[in-house]
Amino acid sequence: MTAWLLRRLAASVAIVFAVVSFVFILIHLAPGDPCVVGTGERITDPDVCRQLIRQFGLDRPVLVQYWRYLGEVARGNFGYSFALHRPVRDALADTMPFTLQLAGAALLVDFGLGLALGVYQALRLNRLPDVVLGNVTLFVYSLPTFWLGLLLLLVFGEKLPLFPVGGASDPVLCPLVDSLYCLADRFWHLILPAATLGLVGAAGTARFQRAAMLEVANQEFVRTARAKGLPERRVVLHHQLRNALLSFITRFGLTFPFLLTGAVLIETIFAWPGMGRLTVDAILHRDYAVVTATALIASSLVVAGNLLADVLVGFADPRIRVHEDALVDIATA
Amino acid sequence: MTRRYEILPVVFLLVALGGCERRKLCNAPDCGTLVDAAIGEPGTLLPASTEEITARDVDEQLFLKLADVGMSINTIGDEDFQPLLAKQWEWDGPLTLVFHIDPRARWHDGQPVTAVDVAFTYDAYNDSAVASPYRAQLKRIASVTARDSLTAVFRFRERYPEMFYDAVYHMRILPAHLLRSVPRDQWKTAEFGRKPIGDGPYRFVSWQAGQAIELRSDTTFFLGRPGIRRLIWRFTPDLGVAVTQLVADQVDVREQLVTPEMIDRARTAKQLKLYPYSGNVYTYLAFNLRANGDTTKPHPIFGDREVRRALTMAVDRASLVKSTLGDIGKVPPGPTSSLLWIWDPEIRQLPYDTAQAGRTLNARGWRDHDGDGVRDRDNQPLAFRIVVPSTSVLRRQYARLLQEQFRLLGIHVDIDEVDPSVLQQRLTSGKYDAAILSRSNDPSPSSGITQTWTRAGIGGSNYARYSSPEFDRLVDGAIAATSRDQSKRLWRAAMETINADAPAIFLYALGNMAGIHRRVDNVQIRPDSWAALLRTWRIPSDRQIDRDRVER
Repeated sequence: MTAWLLRRLAASVAIVFAVVSFVFILIHLAPGDPCVVGTGERITDPDVCRQLIRQFGLDRPVLVQYWRYLGEVARGNFGYSFALHRPVRDALADTMPFTLQLAGAALLVDFGLGLALGVYQALRLNRLPDVVLGNVTLFVYSLPTFWLGLLLLLVFGEKLPLFPVGGASDPVLCPLVDSLYCLADRFWHLILPAATLGLVGAAGTARFQRAAMLEVANQEFVRTARAKGLPERRVVLHHQLRNALLSFITRFGLTFPFLLTGAVLIETIFAWPGMGRLTVDAILHRDYAVVTATALIASSLVVAGNLLADVLVGFADPRIRVHEDALVDIATA
Repeated sequence: MTRRYEILPVVFLLVALGGCERRKLCNAPDCGTLVDAAIGEPGTLLPASTEEITARDVDEQLFLKLADVGMSINTIGDEDFQPLLAKQWEWDGPLTLVFHIDPRARWHDGQPVTAVDVAFTYDAYNDSAVASPYRAQLKRIASVTARDSLTAVFRFRERYPEMFYDAVYHMRILPAHLLRSVPRDQWKTAEFGRKPIGDGPYRFVSWQAGQAIELRSDTTFFLGRPGIRRLIWRFTPDLGVAVTQLVADQVDVREQLVTPEMIDRARTAKQLKLYPYSGNVYTYLAFNLRANGDTTKPHPIFGDREVRRALTMAVDRASLVKSTLGDIGKVPPGPTSSLLWIWDPEIRQLPYDTAQAGRTLNARGWRDHDGDGVRDRDNQPLAFRIVVPSTSVLRRQYARLLQEQFRLLGIHVDIDEVDPSVLQQRLTSGKYDAAILSRSNDPSPSSGITQTWTRAGIGGSNYARYSSPEFDRLVDGAIAATSRDQSKRLWRAAMETINADAPAIFLYALGNMAGIHRRVDNVQIRPDSWAALLRTWRIPSDRQIDRDRVER
């Protein structure tokens, strides 16, 4: 197991390195430089423009910049953002907690709701609740997240002003009142974006979980459990659900990239000050250091998510755990 | 008038925690909180290092200029300027301007504002290490020195009508005692830019990255206590979110509603009042006068002045503006926004005349010889590509409308929608036929028009590569004119020259429309900067709502 884990770790580092290198070269080959200001217009003074390009080391060959960048990253320094006028590390430190909050809340909605619905449907197989929920989940699963986000924003933010329209907290009250209010306020701001990001995933998870539950329902160990006279609740929860969770763990690993890419759109729609919005702004401004750093973080999280899923499956499934040599990259296979 | 969404977290807290701390309520005469929906977040608030719109609006409250333009936006002479940091000024000969600093002016850390700060500021703005975007505008100032602690002396290289404007408009005075120790090449990333200490009507309070900037009124401000106690700029990623927040009563101000659709949305919100004011942007279809990708040769279509004139006459600009922009757009009489004092609807322009356009094209040999619906000459179709930035909905829409108008005259147009950076690269390298571009002006016509339309701008912002000695002569004359009337006459002649040469079709000039909460009183908007007079706005106590009274 240790050797396998080390191999996977080495492969993960190589993948992240390849992604970062690819993004670095690509973004530097694309047109753009620090001379475009926030309004989208270009600085007209060529001396000022040259000075900015020199200040950020962009007058050097791409490979020289790349080599320097790798050295800086090795020291934990992601460089300076020329759009934000600050170290990228500081910008990431400000935005990452928000993205993790959003992704965490969305994961809860996705897997909490999805798991419950999938199990419920499987237990009510082909009855009205199963049919209705099957259609509803298919409908929700077909919705583009950005469209759902806009819809929720319009309905629950503007038409029925139940939730705030964007942002992560109330900038008027929060700085002045006690932190408990702000905690509740933060939660309130989180609901719409987390629901948007989580609901579509929950619909997919429910369908996966229903299928997984049905797949194990007819297997011998479930029939044996029933034949032994175990209560139905115990059969479902201890035998059927536990075995059906393997696909759940695999999906957990695969959901990470979805949440991160989904967060890019959702954070923009809901003005959520996370890494996704930071990335979009950085791409628009050709803010090389930020784009490369966010690619590094995102690819690391994706790889870590997959690795975690593989390890969890290895632990959860005795068939895999016993035959260590036969461990396969389940999540990415 | 507490919104439901504000109550819900409190309800949640009451249930979850069994109680909530009672808030203190403000009852001072200046109670009030104004929340602006800002699009995008600035990188720094250090005025010398940024020209971002939100940074400029915030800096209006934090850092004073020596003086500023008045509501007339007259940039010639000094009679229409309003004193700010300088309580008075006088001319000491034709090239020397002397400012007397108001002795009551203080930095927010208590230090007095002095002439040394003024000299330091000029030196910094002029230092290439700072890379200030305003540096080019100061090139005709030879030096700024401190005669004594409250007297700053500006010396100019030459005499011209906008000397005073150049001296005061571009620079916000900076605290030398706080910035002297910061290396100039690190100003863009300096901590001061995120926690500024200014001398304006508002003090900096906080900057929550990605969320908001908060300022609080300086009750001891020497020009009078501001009318509203708290100002908050709430960052939003785009106009749609900003307007939704405005309509949902979660912010108080959106200074530019931009499109008729957004204006209509704002009109539906009962708590809002709309304020129109002049815009500083005009948009045009630029013809590349040099061959696509080869600036040494004339363009096969646009190199011909008569063909350009025919194309201009083929476009019904008035109908396009009416159908796409409604009341907020106007057809510009040349390369000018409605903000500039040279705007004059009487300036002679080419008429909309498709019959004349057709005749001109026929006369130049562009006829539909093969009957395919597209004019051609020497087996070359009359066809070109319009490049537009993919990020601009309005310009993309205009490209399609132009495509249709040109089609009716037998001209084939393809549209390339590209990323703004790609557009910039193609403009700079000359690899395009025609492009829909926008320019924003500061209040002076001198800098923008020179950069974009004279020969001095070729290689810079003159992407059409328009070169007319007559136009340049008239512009030079207008800039050097000693009276506003003389200058206006020369600008008019310059506009008529460029209109006749038709290096571009001047499509629309956007007016601005601000949506502001009705409870705000004494709203004055100076067209070049909506936030310039924010300190005079008020929220009367009988109109205040919860967010105005909340106290620390």
